[in-house]
Amino acid sequence: MADNVQKEIVSIVSDVTGFEPDEITPESNFYDDLEVDSVKAIEIAVAIEKRFKVTVRDEEIPNITTVKQAVDIVEKLLEEKEDNVQA
Amino acid sequence: MSRHRSSEEYDAIIIGAGIGGLVCGCYLAKAGMKVLICEQHHKPGGYCTSFKRKGFTFDAAADCFGAYREGGITRKVFEELGIDKKLEIIQFDPSLIIHTKEFKIRIWRDTKKTIEELQSLFPEEKTSISNFFNFLSLSNPATFAKIKNWTFQKFIDSFFSNKKLKTILSYPLLVMAGLPPTSMSAFLSGKLYYDFILDGGYYPVGGMQSLPDALANRFQEFGGEMRFCTLVKKILIQDGAVVGVKVENGDYITTRYVVSNCDARQTFLNLLGEENLDDTFSYSIKNMTPSISNFIAYLGIDDTFSHSYPPGTAVLFLEHYNLDKAYKAMLQCDLKNYCGYSFRTSKNNKTINILVPVSFKNKNYWKKNKQKFLDSLIEKAEKYSLPNLSQHLVYKDAGTPYTLYRYTLNYKGASYGWASTVSQLAVPGFKKPSFIKGLYLTGHWSTLGLGIPGVAYVGYDTAKIILRKYL
Repeated sequence: MADNVQKEIVSIVSDVTGFEPDEITPESNFYDDLEVDSVKAIEIAVAIEKRFKVTVRDEEIPNITTVKQAVDIVEKLLEEKEDNVQA
Repeated sequence: MSRHRSSEEYDAIIIGAGIGGLVCGCYLAKAGMKVLICEQHHKPGGYCTSFKRKGFTFDAAADCFGAYREGGITRKVFEELGIDKKLEIIQFDPSLIIHTKEFKIRIWRDTKKTIEELQSLFPEEKTSISNFFNFLSLSNPATFAKIKNWTFQKFIDSFFSNKKLKTILSYPLLVMAGLPPTSMSAFLSGKLYYDFILDGGYYPVGGMQSLPDALANRFQEFGGEMRFCTLVKKILIQDGAVVGVKVENGDYITTRYVVSNCDARQTFLNLLGEENLDDTFSYSIKNMTPSISNFIAYLGIDDTFSHSYPPGTAVLFLEHYNLDKAYKAMLQCDLKNYCGYSFRTSKNNKTINILVPVSFKNKNYWKKNKQKFLDSLIEKAEKYSLPNLSQHLVYKDAGTPYTLYRYTLNYKGASYGWASTVSQLAVPGFKKPSFIKGLYLTGHWSTLGLGIPGVAYVGYDTAKIILRKYL
């Protein structure tokens, strides 16, 4: 699961930034390493939300600065979604 | 196919010589790629062109630009491409006057001055006015990303309680993006404020046409090739990758990359064809809403006409404070209920453009209504802003949404690409459709880019992404 989420997010980040997937690591910082500006931050956030059918809370967005943090948040949201379905 | 194949092969073909296509082309050619730009019109510019009638020069649609401060995106692009040295660029100050029945709010080059003037008119909102402009001047990307699901209404409500002030600060967005605050994305509003309202009013001496002309010349100096009156009919695909384009005269031209700077609907549904799209993708494109179009009056005036507004400054007039009502009237092309317009007198005081956002309707509607609409627009402007205008007119004509479509092929004459609503904010997969290798979209239909700063940014960004793979 974790691997898949990470792979998908790396692919989204690669499409938006133009960096090759193998240049993007979990530790890559969006703003410092991947030249993400406000437009690209939105493009990545919207693409992730559409791909995983989740909603990232507005106030959480400023805390997401690395690829790993994005993966962690998406995994958390997917787990919550699954719990809700089971409940 | 081989019978028509043209002998040249390109690294990249760009469809459309609007500002986005020209900027992208310049960067690619500068980096050493062999680039061809195909433009269906006989001159470059898209919505950024000028034309001459009876000795008057009119800007066709775009009539100034923004983001030219130190570090602004337009300045960065012009400097990197060496355009800044080819053009003389001036800034009108104030760049904007928002004019209602009771207020004339001026937007100055110096934001501090704008803030102080607003604070003296609305003393009870003093702190909120500072906070509002400070927030918009912040460039931290994460702070802006936080408001991605907000409308401008929600955003502005979080600062102010005075309804008139809120309307005054929202009205420029209705004029510049064609949406009322209740549906306009807060993020895109923030971009417009930062790039265009707080740092606007820049103008190339000689007219807007000199901007695309300078870019087109620079593109050719970088080794790029330009073909005018060349309409691209198809983007050719083989094994999931771009291989070339077919142009109107039947020629096939081969290339590794295609960058489409024309409208996204046309790119996907016509140039690629639905046979190359999956159903969900086709469906989502067909269900997206384009931005509004414009009706633009082109007026030539005699030497004796004078009025109280400085030349070059855009004046945005609104008679009432109900932007939802204005928007409804725009959709119905109902000038009476819209009760607004914006205008700008040229630097030499010889021409005036008056603009009203309206929906597309169709060719016949405008054939029937153009003259009537133009005359009532002149009458309105005369009543509220420009007394005796009609007695000083030497020339009058107008561009309708159909005219805008005819010259640029933008879907429904849309002025700003897709409508800047919250739900259409960023469309994954448009800028670089993952199902076709080598195809990129740029310009105002590809992502979050409005106006000249927006498309200059997207053109630059598309080139950077391609070059990362090419070099």
